[in-house]
Amino acid sequence: MAFQEVGFLPLAGLARPAAEDLVAHASAHLAVPCRLLDAPAGWDLVRVPGRDQLDADRLLAAIEALDNPAGRALVGLTDRDLAIPIFTFVFGRARVGGHAAVVSLARLRPELYGRLPDSALTTRRATAEILHELGHVAGLGHCQDFQCLMHFSTDIEAADLRPMTFCPACAAQADSFIAT
Amino acid sequence: MSAAPRKEIPLSILVVDDEPIVVQSLGDWFRQDGHQVDTAQSAKEALRLVAERSYDIALIDLKMPGMDGIELQERLARERPELTIIVMTAYASVDTAVRALKAGAYDYITKPFDPEELSHLVRRAGEHRSLRSENLKLKEQLSSVSGAMPIVGTSRAIAHVQEMIEAVAATDATVMIRGESGTGKELVARAIHARSARCFGPLVVVNCGALPEGVLESELFGHEKGSFTGAQSRHKGKFELADGGTIFLDEIGTITPRVQVELLRVLEDKAVTRVGGTAPVRSDFRVVAASNMDLETAAHDGTFREDLYWRLNVLTLELPPLRERPEDIPVLAEHFLDRFAHSMNRRPMRLSAAALDVLRSYAWPGNVRELQNAIERAVVLGTPPTVEPKDLPVRLSGLPARPGPMSLEEMEKGHIRQVLEGCNWNISQAAKLLDVDRGTLYNKMRRFSFERALAPGG
Repeated sequence: MAFQEVGFLPLAGLARPAAEDLVAHASAHLAVPCRLLDAPAGWDLVRVPGRDQLDADRLLAAIEALDNPAGRALVGLTDRDLAIPIFTFVFGRARVGGHAAVVSLARLRPELYGRLPDSALTTRRATAEILHELGHVAGLGHCQDFQCLMHFSTDIEAADLRPMTFCPACAAQADSFIAT
Repeated sequence: MSAAPRKEIPLSILVVDDEPIVVQSLGDWFRQDGHQVDTAQSAKEALRLVAERSYDIALIDLKMPGMDGIELQERLARERPELTIIVMTAYASVDTAVRALKAGAYDYITKPFDPEELSHLVRRAGEHRSLRSENLKLKEQLSSVSGAMPIVGTSRAIAHVQEMIEAVAATDATVMIRGESGTGKELVARAIHARSARCFGPLVVVNCGALPEGVLESELFGHEKGSFTGAQSRHKGKFELADGGTIFLDEIGTITPRVQVELLRVLEDKAVTRVGGTAPVRSDFRVVAASNMDLETAAHDGTFREDLYWRLNVLTLELPPLRERPEDIPVLAEHFLDRFAHSMNRRPMRLSAAALDVLRSYAWPGNVRELQNAIERAVVLGTPPTVEPKDLPVRLSGLPARPGPMSLEEMEKGHIRQVLEGCNWNISQAAKLLDVDRGTLYNKMRRFSFERALAPGG
């Protein structure tokens, strides 16, 4: 479906100013208005059993279940680490052709990899991850082209090599709201 | 809509795990990466899927109710040896890893998976799979280029042929191969060449029986430009092309007296004069000739030059007809089954006892070539994994059994089979015709391993 708006939800402890900064950066790459929404109250965030990580699939399902006007895609943003039972972690999660996505900043910070804190780098990584997950919402799978934002990366250094744009094939195939 | 440039080949993946969340998560994950994925929640379901289509990689959970992952892995390794198997386990231990790898797994991975580790593992498994299939293709190409196809058989007769090949290959002498049509004369010629010191030189094959006299002359000895109408350019003959290698003259008994004279001169001089030419061209070749005719009688009768006969008949290799080595039929049939199943990209196939019985009972007038054609047909028409009598040419069960004395049991077995087939395996009707009760017929069918009619529902 063609979305006319993207709504962002600050979840599980993400400070509102940080969320506002991310929304501003993401909106520069999207063809539709972006809006920071209020965090839903009273959510019981489910952890992956035995691990201090939020269950990304359960969180995604909760976002999908929110009362949301048609034509608005939703992106949950969190500082907490995300995983699903079969994987040790995920950077984010979205359903191909769905209307919601969730992105974690936990593994995007340089300090996790023994580097000095770098807020600009964290923001760039988070923006790329938001656009990647929105690519799935726009109907795209992973792309084998290294020069495409939809290229699948399992480690942060490989993710840093991706450009902030889609390859021509993915751009042509994606829902127009994502076109950059 | 154009496809994104692909740097990696999409794989066909089967995920087997009894936990729905695992098959769903992995299925989604691989699909997003462009792979074709099927999932199964039990070993039984996995076997059904594998019977229906082929996969590059199977990810199999070790602990499943019913048939566990190791047992499934062992069955798949037997039935689909080309499949690359990765074992998934929630409990990593050296013992588990050793068991999985011993049972033929490519690798194993512990749950929960590090996405990067799984991604690398699947990529490596895909590369392993392509290398393996490329390796098989290259081996096939190498065999066809060198012509060194194996000479298959366990009989004393074929062992003697193999010994003779080794012995004559070491020399540079002319070899005459004799044998009925379809006994593998060209195969033996190729084996002699491949095992000789000339193996890096060319092997030039000429079917003398397939060409008219004029054309054969020109083919064997070459011609100069303008030597006859249509000779628009100089043409090198097969003897010249065989320089440094071997020339195989098949059906040598069919050549005309004029070509016999020319051939004798070439063999004596080791030099060729092209048709229409004057200067002889030297060539270093070894001659292997073959015939299914009785050349000795032909030489005696004067239809084949005696001096040429003795020139060709330095070392003689007799190939036995297939009916004289029936013990080789099963091993030859299995060999052709594997070869054709592989070349036609079909699942491995095996002969049922009844099909093997049909093959053993037949006289094989066309020898190994006829058997090869029958098996090729069975691989095309049969349903893997078993070849049944119905997949074989009808003539195999219709013709009289091989000549020679038969035991009483062989005769009884053949007669019962004939009656059963005549009644379309209707037991009551066959028992009535044979004048025995149904129980007796069933007992005899069990004794002679007539599986078809004893199978459930059969």
